[in-house]
Amino acid sequence: MSETSSSSGPVPFRNPGWAGNTGAFDLSEEQVRGDDYVGVRPADGGHASGAATYPYMKVEKSPEAPLFEGPYRERFDKILSRYPESRAALLPALNLAQELRGHISPETMREVAVLLDLPEAYVRGVTSFYTMYNKRPVGRFLIQVCTNISCNLCGGDEVLASFLKHTGTELGSTSADGDFTVTEVECLAACGTPTAVQINSRYYENVTPDSVPAILERLRKKGE
Amino acid sequence: MAFPYEHEREVRILSRGWGDPSARTLEGWKALGGYKALEKSLSMSREAVIDEVKASGLRGRGGAGFPTGLKWSFMPKEKTGLQYLCCNADESEPGTFKDRELLRWSPHQLIEGCLIAAHAIQADHVFIYCRGEFFEAVQVLARAVEEAYAAGFIGENILGSGISIDITVHSGAGAYICGEETALMNSLEGRRGLPRVKPPFPAAVGAFGRPTTINNVETLCAIPHIMTHGGAWYREQGTEKSPGTKLFCVSGHVVRPGNYELPLGFPLMELIHDVCGGLRPGRTLKAVIPGGSSVPIMNAAECEACTLDYEGVVEAGSMLGCASVIIMDDSTNLVKQVRRMVDFYAHESCGQCTPCREGTQWMARILRRIEEGRGTEEDLDTLLDLGDQMTGTTICVLSDSAAAPVASSIAKFRDDYLALIRRGERVGAA
Ligand SMILES: Cc1cc2nc3c(=O)[nH]c(=O)nc-3n(C[C@H](O)[C@H](O)[C@H](O)COP(=O)(O)O)c2cc1C
Ligand code: SF4
Ligand code: FES
Repeated sequence: MSETSSSSGPVPFRNPGWAGNTGAFDLSEEQVRGDDYVGVRPADGGHASGAATYPYMKVEKSPEAPLFEGPYRERFDKILSRYPESRAALLPALNLAQELRGHISPETMREVAVLLDLPEAYVRGVTSFYTMYNKRPVGRFLIQVCTNISCNLCGGDEVLASFLKHTGTELGSTSADGDFTVTEVECLAACGTPTAVQINSRYYENVTPDSVPAILERLRKKGE
Repeated sequence: MAFPYEHEREVRILSRGWGDPSARTLEGWKALGGYKALEKSLSMSREAVIDEVKASGLRGRGGAGFPTGLKWSFMPKEKTGLQYLCCNADESEPGTFKDRELLRWSPHQLIEGCLIAAHAIQADHVFIYCRGEFFEAVQVLARAVEEAYAAGFIGENILGSGISIDITVHSGAGAYICGEETALMNSLEGRRGLPRVKPPFPAAVGAFGRPTTINNVETLCAIPHIMTHGGAWYREQGTEKSPGTKLFCVSGHVVRPGNYELPLGFPLMELIHDVCGGLRPGRTLKAVIPGGSSVPIMNAAECEACTLDYEGVVEAGSMLGCASVIIMDDSTNLVKQVRRMVDFYAHESCGQCTPCREGTQWMARILRRIEEGRGTEEDLDTLLDLGDQMTGTTICVLSDSAAAPVASSIAKFRDDYLALIRRGERVGAA
């Protein structure tokens, strides 16, 4: 069993999104996460079949970035080509907008509404329904701790408290340096490896209150 | 390399590629026999495919256990226009974590299952609706779909059969209710994820107003194996009424939580004590939720003789749901955990139906009051009364799901509530 933490240097990282603390298991983090297979997905979305997937969240958010220009315009056109009605491109378009800008502002809603020829109020109604749309700017790292039942039985509340303590933030607020926003999240479908935490696009599993400082350190250094 | 969860009593069919990065790739999947079932199925009539699936007795793995072959046969015999298959990869029922593993370790298994199902129901386009949080798993799936397009397994005239099927991977944006099949279709269409009143059923009027079938990821992943080896082979595992293997998602207070693929009908106590390494030292079993947070809680006595098949769990007083087995030992503060589940439903209620929108909020508030030692015995009656009013009165069953753990926990663990109410004493810390 090669547990990364036992041999690691300054930033112990026990579990790269993986349930790897029982049995023999010796995959790299890239193999576990699938990055070795996925590679770098192009900004234009690659093959049209995958253009509507929720893209990886960018660490550097640029609220002023233009929407859907250049390769992003190509991606948007590919998305449109996959559905019988353009309305269906609304969630994918909002996802894309959030990737670029980090949150969905009223201005973004307006732009998306124009683009898809939908009433602005309609877009606002849809956006407000879905919890993943950040209605306000968030830190470079959005840390979402699962406190639902399976994680909670194994200490989810304590992990949440540890993140709040070590980032010096209150629930939902952003740290002074703009790095961290910590929130609670519902079950992430990783209940067998409690506590599950989602940080931007990545899952961190088997997180304990003690492993929090190392994760924060890694984020500051590695950017994910 | 061993998958960490592996146990000798498992029967690995759907999960055989897990933990092996090469099984993710098209080449790796083909080396394991992948895409042979597609070739075989495309050479068969769609009726023959449905008959084989019916013969297998496969039941939907999304929670309700509805026979898959029968569901497929509801689709129109005469096609009048576009038809769709939606794969439900919204996995968000607390305690459930199997679909994510299927997506990220064996994406081609799912793609193959989707294509065979699409052929059987004459769907032109498959939408795989994944929950938004699955960034990583979805990128793996999207890459696999791209590979399968390039190899000619998806798209126009697949393998020279004259059949054309497209697949699109779609991401949601965080809403449990979008796992409900009609809410999923609304969400796919770019609307708020509100469940629709049935009838009309999706097989008549589904996504984009067209005939649609919705199946869970695990259901579709079983299809290639059934088509390769036959329905009779599938029935060699499991029970008469619940055939085949099932991924059991075990979480909570056991030594080795995880996903285990076992024949349906497996004894619950053996799952806990043998497969999962038992409870933590010095602990005793308090309660089990056998099918995800939406099903009634079982006490230790009910667990004794329980077998994990659709019928066995009903007999023991609960439901198998998606086989998400949550184990709680004697350190559990059950009132807190029930409150946490109800908080979840209150947050996730779509708000269309008054009993659900108001009921979940009220329940959450009363439970919190009890948890904080400010409850009364009348509160328990109020909770039960609310639960009655929330059951069978709404568009979808989210409302019933919220009431189930409350009613069952009051019936079976009344003393925990009374300790808090009468003496302000909390039972258990976890
Ligand atoms: C509130 C609610 C949430 C649901 N969530 C899911 C889910 O996350 N995944 C899923 O496959 N089915 C879910 N279902 C069940 C689906 O409505 C549907 O029955 C299922 O996807 C059908 O697939 P199957 O026949 O293959 O089981 C949910 C149902 C309800 C009422
Ligand atoms: S029962 Fe609840 S979640 Fe379901 S449709 Fe009604 S309000 Fe929405
Ligand atoms: S309960 Fe935390 S991931 Fe499911």
